[in-house]
Amino acid sequence: MLQLVVNGLVLGSILALAAIGLSMMYSILNFANFAHGDFLALGAYLTFVFSAILGVHLILAGAIAVVITALVAVCCDYVIWKPMRKKGAGSVTLIIISIGLALFLRNLIIFLWGPDLKRYDLPVKRGIELGSVVITQNQIVVIMVAIICMFLVHYLLKKTTIGKAMRALSDNIDLAKASGIDVDRVIRYTWAIGMALAAVGGILYGLITNINPNMGWFMLLPMFAAVILGGIGSPYGAMLGGIIIGLAQELSTAILPTEYKLAVAFVIMIAVLFVRPRGILGS
Amino acid sequence: MIEYLPYVITVLLIAAIYAIFSLGLNLEWGFTGLINFGHVAFFAIGAYTTVLLNLSGVPLLLSVIAGVALAGLCGGLLGIPTLKLREDYLAIVTIGFAEIIRFFLLNEEWLTRGPMGVHVFSRPFEELIPGDYNFFLFPFVLVVLVICYLLLEKLIKSPWGRVLKSIREDEDVPASLGKNVFSYKIQALVLGSMIAGLAGSLLAFYLQYINPRNFMPIETFYAWIAVVLGGSGNNKGTILGALILWTFFSGTRFAQGYLPFSPTQMGALRILFIGVLLIMIMMFKPEGLLGKKEELTLAR
Amino acid sequence: MLSVHDVEKSFGGIKAVDGCSLKIKKSAIVGVIGPNGAGKTTLFRIISGFEKPDNGTIVFNGEDIEGVTSFAIARKGLIRTFQISKALTKLTVEENMLLAPQFQHGERIWNVWLRPKDVKRQEEENIEKAHALLEFLGLLRLKDEYAGALSGGQKKLLEIARALMADPKMLLLDEPFAGVNPTLAMKILERIKELRDNNGITVLVIEHDMPKIMQLSDHIYVLNKGKVIASGAPEEVRANEQVVEAYLGGVWGELR
Repeated sequence: MLQLVVNGLVLGSILALAAIGLSMMYSILNFANFAHGDFLALGAYLTFVFSAILGVHLILAGAIAVVITALVAVCCDYVIWKPMRKKGAGSVTLIIISIGLALFLRNLIIFLWGPDLKRYDLPVKRGIELGSVVITQNQIVVIMVAIICMFLVHYLLKKTTIGKAMRALSDNIDLAKASGIDVDRVIRYTWAIGMALAAVGGILYGLITNINPNMGWFMLLPMFAAVILGGIGSPYGAMLGGIIIGLAQELSTAILPTEYKLAVAFVIMIAVLFVRPRGILGS
Repeated sequence: MIEYLPYVITVLLIAAIYAIFSLGLNLEWGFTGLINFGHVAFFAIGAYTTVLLNLSGVPLLLSVIAGVALAGLCGGLLGIPTLKLREDYLAIVTIGFAEIIRFFLLNEEWLTRGPMGVHVFSRPFEELIPGDYNFFLFPFVLVVLVICYLLLEKLIKSPWGRVLKSIREDEDVPASLGKNVFSYKIQALVLGSMIAGLAGSLLAFYLQYINPRNFMPIETFYAWIAVVLGGSGNNKGTILGALILWTFFSGTRFAQGYLPFSPTQMGALRILFIGVLLIMIMMFKPEGLLGKKEELTLAR
Repeated sequence: MLSVHDVEKSFGGIKAVDGCSLKIKKSAIVGVIGPNGAGKTTLFRIISGFEKPDNGTIVFNGEDIEGVTSFAIARKGLIRTFQISKALTKLTVEENMLLAPQFQHGERIWNVWLRPKDVKRQEEENIEKAHALLEFLGLLRLKDEYAGALSGGQKKLLEIARALMADPKMLLLDEPFAGVNPTLAMKILERIKELRDNNGITVLVIEHDMPKIMQLSDHIYVLNKGKVIASGAPEEVRANEQVVEAYLGGVWGELR
């Protein structure tokens, strides 16, 4: 049981990281980005390419992957999202474009690197035993990196100008425009930061298990569940939601077949929609 | 030429089945503005219910009806928590539902035989048809397609369809005129899901053997591309879209021999292309091939 | 006909409507005036069920309707129009009109398929009625145009015509004359009075055009900061010191 809690916290911190960006984009651009999970997979794969194929050290490879993923996100903003904003496209249009982008990214990964499972080239180390619980070093790394990233996000949102602008934008985009914020610039930063966090999430996922082209797709539902549970537009809600969903998914394996983990996220999401559609920390 | 006929018939048959499947989505998205990203779930429910019931001794027609009804019921149930909220919740919930259905089909072997799949027990009029069954099944599916098309056209041009279109543009207006917007959305979703369920039964008759791999998430987006390419909210366009899609697919099979890619890579390229096409249409030609620009409310 | 009692509504701590009470007799034409942000439109949204009040009661035609959803209120015969016109731009003018009649046979799937004759007959009746109304408002020649091609004033007209198509017992009109040319505005004004005289329809109207609302209304409520600050016959309101004090200058200056 305690083991499941540990596993849940590990998965939860990955979900939490990845969900932050999804939640921020959701409230700032006012649409659900269905390509979010595939950016996560992109980050994981780029790391794989640099470390396992090109032989770069894993940490450096991860850093390069995060930067490239963020750049890809910014490019997408220039090519797709910004022109659509200028046209005044409705959220439904953006949602459909995002699913097109998701199909594109996922199949680009399959095309380039194949559909099968991949592993990072990691030394196998023995886990630390605490009573009946085993924690691997990688799991500890995941939790620590996640905590550091969350603190960075917190610092960014509270202390930096760009972070404050993001919050202003997510509260009320018209007011933010009127007060002279360069909306396009803030949106580009939000894409970059949100997708960088997703990429980190993807890499961390690769530390604890295999990566595959569909990983982003499978993470999408739990991420949305986390965002809706935490309250759309609330980064802290997304973190909290992510951890709760991660814990719930892992704990469910005590009584349900592991294949139904996804159903747990689904049921929580439906319950939230019935009981409190604005989420725990939503306004 | 004649030796290609069975192949051509098969392509047309598949296109017709997917046209029916896509007409269901067009009712939801094209006319009502509902985003259903899990349309394949109802396809699967229709197919599996039909085959499994028939296998356990229920008459074929009754099995098909049950499949259609169950698909409709599931559609309605998904609408209840989502359709009063923002439009993207339905998209998220349906996408999750479709995956869960697929996992259910994979795991509940006592019912669905899991990844092994199920053989189709009997097909309509099978014992009466000599020779290639597809030569019968194609006109049969075509008749079903035409009936679906006519019934839908009748609905769309009726006061009921008018209410749907008004919801698509601005649901405050029908609400201010006494229309129960939520009920209409549920009706559109139920009917759309039932049509997908029917298409699922037909798919099972064509495949003769169904397994969870037939109902991957991408199937939903085949319907999306058919609808969006043909012109959202245009039933003729949807049928045209499905035809173009499957002609393209069969074309890529021929192209396979001339390109230096593995079958997996070809498959990935196809879907990659569909993704790009979806983006391009929504960005540059949101009215699709046959849609009217003046009626374009969805993709402003 | 309609009685609003102590209705309150706040958004994020700001009271948009702060204890409003109105009483509207059957077949009356009642005006609501007040500066921007006085809570007029919010009050309308609450009465028509598009917003739930935090407090207070609303009785329409003997029934409690506070918190009832918008479509159910409309079905009781209380039909509203919108401040920023909501003509459905992607439907034709005629389709806009035909949307309005309530309880149409053809609004049910089964009837469309199984009773096409009844549906058609009713549709033809509605078309006739729609054409008569459009004719009156001078929109008939535009019936096959998409409403999106209409001018702002024409859209406003269409919206009123559409509301009338629904056979309302009571109309809530949110700035019906904004952007409508004066000749047409007079026509609408006369039509509203005519409907009241002949059909006994009740009207509650928000309007910024002071001369028109003074001419139209039997009774006027003045709202400021979510509260009713004065009410009475148009002459009384015009003479009310408190109202004048609150609105020295602007339109109110012209009025004096």
